Formats: sequence, structure tokens, C-alpha cells
Amino acid sequence: MLSDAAQTSLWRTIDQPIALKGLVVGIGLLLIAAELWWFLGRHGAGVAARGSDTGLQEITISVDGGYKPARIQVKAGRAMRLCFHRLDPSGCLAQVIFPDFQTSLDLRLHATTCVELPATAAGVYPFHCGMNMVRGVLEVVE
Amino acid sequence: MNAPTSSPPCCGREDPGAVAQGMEREQAQELSRLRRQLLVAAVLTTLVILSSLAPMLGGPQLPLLPSWFSSPWTQLLLSTPVLFWCGRDFFRAAIAAFRQHSADMNTLVAAGTGIAWLSSLFTTLFPEVLRAEGLPADVYFETAAVILTLVLLGRLLEARARGQTAEAIRRLIQLQPPTARVLRHGQPIEIPVSLVVVGDEVQVRPGEKIPLDGEVLHGSSWVEESMLSGEPTPVAKARGDTVIGASINRSGSFSFRVNRIGADTVLAQIVALVRQAQSSRTQVQRLADQVVGWFVPVVIAVAIAAFVGWFWISGNAVLALLFLVSVLVIACPCALGLATPTSIMVASGKGAENGLIFRSAEALETAGKLRTVVIDKTGTLTRGQPQVSDFERLPGAALPAPTLLALAAALESRSEHPLAEAIVSYCRQALGQGLAQALPQAEAPELERFEAVAGRGVQAVVGGQEVRIGTPRWLPELGIATASLAPLLERLEAAACSVAVLVVNGRLEACFGVADPLKPSSAAAVAALQRLGLELVMLSGDARRTAEVVAAQVGIQRVIAEVRPADKAAVVRRLQGQGEGPVAMVGDGINDAPALAQADVGIAMGSGTDVAIAASDITLISGNLAGVPAAIELSRATMANIRQNLVFAFAYNLAGIPIAAGLLFPFTGWLLSPMLAGAAMAFSSVSVLSNALRLRRFRPAPLPMAAA
Repeated sequence: MLSDAAQTSLWRTIDQPIALKGLVVGIGLLLIAAELWWFLGRHGAGVAARGSDTGLQEITISVDGGYKPARIQVKAGRAMRLCFHRLDPSGCLAQVIFPDFQTSLDLRLHATTCVELPATAAGVYPFHCGMNMVRGVLEVVE
Repeated sequence: MNAPTSSPPCCGREDPGAVAQGMEREQAQELSRLRRQLLVAAVLTTLVILSSLAPMLGGPQLPLLPSWFSSPWTQLLLSTPVLFWCGRDFFRAAIAAFRQHSADMNTLVAAGTGIAWLSSLFTTLFPEVLRAEGLPADVYFETAAVILTLVLLGRLLEARARGQTAEAIRRLIQLQPPTARVLRHGQPIEIPVSLVVVGDEVQVRPGEKIPLDGEVLHGSSWVEESMLSGEPTPVAKARGDTVIGASINRSGSFSFRVNRIGADTVLAQIVALVRQAQSSRTQVQRLADQVVGWFVPVVIAVAIAAFVGWFWISGNAVLALLFLVSVLVIACPCALGLATPTSIMVASGKGAENGLIFRSAEALETAGKLRTVVIDKTGTLTRGQPQVSDFERLPGAALPAPTLLALAAALESRSEHPLAEAIVSYCRQALGQGLAQALPQAEAPELERFEAVAGRGVQAVVGGQEVRIGTPRWLPELGIATASLAPLLERLEAAACSVAVLVVNGRLEACFGVADPLKPSSAAAVAALQRLGLELVMLSGDARRTAEVVAAQVGIQRVIAEVRPADKAAVVRRLQGQGEGPVAMVGDGINDAPALAQADVGIAMGSGTDVAIAASDITLISGNLAGVPAAIELSRATMANIRQNLVFAFAYNLAGIPIAAGLLFPFTGWLLSPMLAGAAMAFSSVSVLSNALRLRRFRPAPLPMAAA
């Protein structure tokens, strides 16, 4: 969609001082490092579920663009109940899937929906939305 | 009226119908919201494009349009609502995800369009900065607007397709009628199905759907259960028979006592099994999952690197920025995430439609790789109910045939041997009304000195006559010559019959051939399995001779006979050990359960015991062996579909990124404008989804004509 005239001037090479180029490279590398640290690094332990009168470990997770909290710590060998409060209208988030438990849950908008999961051995059990775009993880610890 | 206390809505056990309705309403709302957003975005974007065309074409302005229309300020004004009203969901979700250290497709879309918009805003405000560098003061509002509109279009198509993949479950749930006619205080009243309690008497008229599971009390009818079993033939129902909710009452009126409601009904259990399969993962998907987690952060890194690289080479910040935006936009990993689950969802729904219930995605995956199928004979190839196929009054018999039949019926009615029932019902049927005539006391025979001789037969005195029924091996012990019987025995054995002889007062009178008849579709199903290239093994507890005859009738060459029930699992294990795996086991009985569990894929006949079904990976609701080749075909089609999807997804994402980053530009001159990148991204998801939806057209191949 670019005219010839515009293209020739857009595609030109501009001499930049080497210091500026160096600065851009430096900032770029810093940004990459910061971004990778932010998204892939470990940020604190998961939020622990609390016990309840029913003997289940309970936690409420709010669903708004992501799972809050997304890392959930539970104790091994005890059944748990996870409640999801969905605030996000996006259809992807209307379903939560726990592949290791072969369970899925339909979440109504602006409502809390709970699922009870059986006690399991220690390990890391991911869960995700219907499109596998938004993810959370259950950390089952001894 | 006593409404049952419904379980709290927290535990995922609520009425599936109500949840489905709510979800459907929300889905419809989302669709109409997306449609509205897309419409606004499309109109504004068209205007932005028109506005940007003027300077691009080199002319001062397009004819008929005022000069202010092509100003960057107009474009800013038009594109801003596209991004921040139509596309607000992307930005909101991206920010929410960012706060939680996670990055997804929204991050990429928001960053890509946001950066294009921000840099154009800068150009609009300070055009002289660029001009001083000798660069055109072009704005890219139209790029941002076009990308966002395309992504919205992709969203809309996805949302629609998602609705269709879930359709199978919805169709299953909707099979249940909303109301039931219940007798309360002797009066029929129409109430919602959710208010019916166990023990209620429900009336069903011709043409109506049966609302819940139960047992027929009064009346009789023909009932079509095809929606659950895939079997088209209606089934006769009379007092005492079980009826299943969601089946259709064809001819008569009847009433039944409800014995299962809510999540306990057969329909609810099928729905639960299908959902379970849809929410489990295949091995392929585990890999894709791991990739998705790393994907977005790595793409952002690549985008920044592309900017830095191009700035280093050209010193041209505007050019470098275009590469950055292209990389961000093309890399949406949506398609990758959708590749497996959509196919699995469509396939397990399709299976359910054909009466095949897959317990897990892994079962769906493994079924396509099977090399050996072990088939239990009784109840699987055969009906599992022995029937008398031959009755012969032997030469030299003293009594007339009706009397012989009546005596046999009288004696065998006391026996607990599995063949006895077959003989009794045969005799009664053969005599019909003549039973009382043949033997006056036949209806309630007086048996004296009844005795069961283990491994031999039964004997008693009936009406003063000494009667024995048992195996031919008993005869020598009784001092009866068997030479004359030999040709007959041979003929019956060749027809896979078990033989019982009738001896009255020490004289050999008659002989019964009892066989377990083949199911009508067995031979065709076996041929279909062989056509699929599978090695078939028949497993049977019968004598080798009998088993081989049955195997020959259906066309199976390999027979493992005289297997004790407890050894079935060991046979499967041995085949697996011999490298003939993956091995499937098809069976129906309680004694098959260990073998079903041992097999790589356990396939239970739906007519079989609950234990067998619980131990299996695939349940054939119809109890028809033809479901096995259908399941394997579906599995193969599904795995092929998943592989195609992964190729689509990877091709778009992996091939697109280097092109978008300008890596190929020095060699080929290939470049991807941000707008094209946006289109490619949207259509990668759409092509994966539409490919998965192709599976909806799956039909199991028709059975070949039986070989024998």
C-alpha cells in the first residue's frame, strides 16, 4: 500500500552515530532480559489453600484476564475444592480444564463455580482455559 | 409437592441441562457483542484506510473528499475507538495477564497494535522530527486498525466454531425432554423433570420421549434407543423391562417407575464420560502445552531483537518498528493451543453420536495405533445366551417326541446348569399349548429323588419314569452303548454345539444340540477389522474344537481356546510382551474386566456388566461389534486431523516469524507487512478450527458383506 515515492524514502538507510546504535542495542537487550525474567522467572511461591470445616482444602480464584492466584499450593493426600469467580466476558475463559484430573468446568459470568478434586500425590498439576491460553498450576506439596 | 433438594451449584453436579442453557445464553451474548464490535471496527477501519489512501497514492487528496479527511489527525480520531473501544477486551486482558507474570495472545495483539498506534501518535504530534531525519512522516493508524479488525474477525469465527464443537454435548443434553407427566395422588400432572423423584410413576404416550430411567409398570410399547446406542431397530418394552431416559416411545402407551434421576441417569453418565474425554490430554498435546508456555515471552524477545537488529543495520527506526510489530502480530499461539483440543472435542462428540464413548483423549489416540484386537467369544461375537439349535429323537426311542420334550423341560427346570435354561425354553416353545397334553403334570412336575451329578448331568424320577439329562460322557458309566451316537455327535460338534442326551428308564431317547448363536453383525465386523489391517485373536473358555468352529464362522484364524477367566489378562499381557501391541481387548463380562484394564485399549460392550464398562477405555453402547472398527476408524481420522492441525499451526507461527522479522529479506526480498501478519494470524486459528470441524463429517465405513 506504499507508493513508490514513500517506499524509497522509508527504505533508506540513515547513518546513526555508533553511540546511539550501541545505546539501542543495550536497551533492547535489557528489555529482553527484563521481559523474560518477568514472564518466565519464578515469582514467589503459590498461594496456599486453606482448610475448611468440610475437611476440604479451599481456595477461590478470580478469573479476569488470568487466574488470580495462578499458582495454588495444596497439601498432598487431601481432597480440595477450587472455586472460580469469573469476571472476564471472553469466551475462552468460560471453561477451565484440569487435564490430569480429566475434569472440566463451565464458568458462568459473574458467578462462582466450584469443583472438588480428589486427593493426589505431590506434584505439579496445570490447569488452563478452554483454549489453553490462560494457565494456572496446582502445586501439590507434602 | 416435594421438590428434591438440589445439590449446591458449587460441586459441578448440578443439572447439566440448566448449566448448558445458561452457557448457551452467555455464548449467544458474547457472539452478538463480538459482532457489534466487529461491525463498528470494520466501518471505522474502512474510513481510516480511505483516509490513508490519499497520501499513499501521492495525490493531495482523493476526489470528492475534503482535504481534512486525509489528515493524520482524522486517522487518529477514527482509529482510536477501533483500538480502545472495539479492542478493549484485548488490552484489558493483556494488562491483567501482565500483572500476573503471564503473557498470551492478548499480550501480542495489544503490544503490536498499541506500539503501531503510539508511534503514529508521535509522528502526528511531531512530524518535523522524522522529516529532519529525511524520513516520510507516515502514520500507521490504518495498520493498527486493520490488525485489530482482523483479530476481532478471527475471535468471532472462533467463538462460533467453539459453539459448534461443543454442540455434540449440547445435543446429548437436549435429548432429555424438559417435563414429565407424573402420577401424583392418582392424577397425572406435568412437572419439570428436575422435580421428579425416584419412585415416581411417569406416563409416556406414543411419540413422546421418555424423560428418565426406570422400570415399566403398566402397558407395553416399542422404544427407539438409537440416540443412545446408535442401533436403529426399536426395542420391545413390557412390564419389568428397563427404559432409558431420552429414548423415544414409538407405538404404545405405558407408565414406568423412575429409578434414576439427575446425574445418575444413563444419559447424564454418558455426558459425563464424553466431557471427561474432552478434558483429558493426548501425548501430542502435552508437548504443545509446554511449547505454548514459552512461546509468547520468546516471541516478544524475538520482536525486540528484530527491532535492534534492523536499527543496527539501517539506522532507520521507523523501518525497525514495522518489523517489531509484524513479529508480535503473526506469532499468536492460538492456533497451536487449539490444534489438539478442538479435534478431540469434535471426535468424542462424533463418537457419542455413533454410540462410541471414549473415556479419555488417550484412548482416542491409542485406538488408531492398535495392531492386535483380542475378542472374547461369549457375549461379544455371540449373543451370550445359548439356544437349542438341534433336537433329535434317536433311532430306537420308545416315547413320542412331545413326551420327551415335556420330560426334559420338567427335569431341566430344576437344574442350574447354563444350558438347562436354553433346553427348558426350547421345549416349552416347541410344545406350546401342547405341554399339558404331553405330560399332565408338566406345569408343576413332581420330581422325586432329584440329583445333580457334578460334571455329568441331572437325574430324577418324573411321573414314575427315571429321567436323566447330561453329557454323552455320562453314557458309558450308565452302561449305555454310544457307538450309534458317534456320527451325530461329530456333526453337532462341527457346528459348535454342546450336546445333552436324554435317557429315560435307561434307554437313550433323544439328543439336544445347544449353541450360543453368533450375533448377526459379527462376521461383517470381523471382516471390517481385517480390512483395517488388524491382527485378530479370538479368546474363549470353550473346548478348542468348538472355539475353532465359531472362529471359522466369523473368519478369525487365530484362536486361543480353553482360557480360564482368570487367565484372560495374562493372555493380553503375553501378546503385549510378544511385541504385538498395542493390543485392544473386546469383552463384556465381569471376568473380562482385568483383561480390559490390562489391554492398551479396553473396549466394553454397552450391554455388558457395569464392571466391564468401568474397566474399559471405550464403551460401545449398542453392544454391537461393528462399533470396534468404527471406533478405530474414528481414532485414525482424529489423529490424522490433529497432525494436520499441528502442521497448520506450526507453519503459520514458525514460518511466519522469521519472515516477519525480516530474516529472509536480504536473501529473497520477502517481507510481511504488519497488516498481512494480522490476517495470517487470524486465519491460522480459523483454518485449524475449520479443519477440526471437518471431522464432523466422519461416517464409519459401511460394513463389508460377511465373508462366510
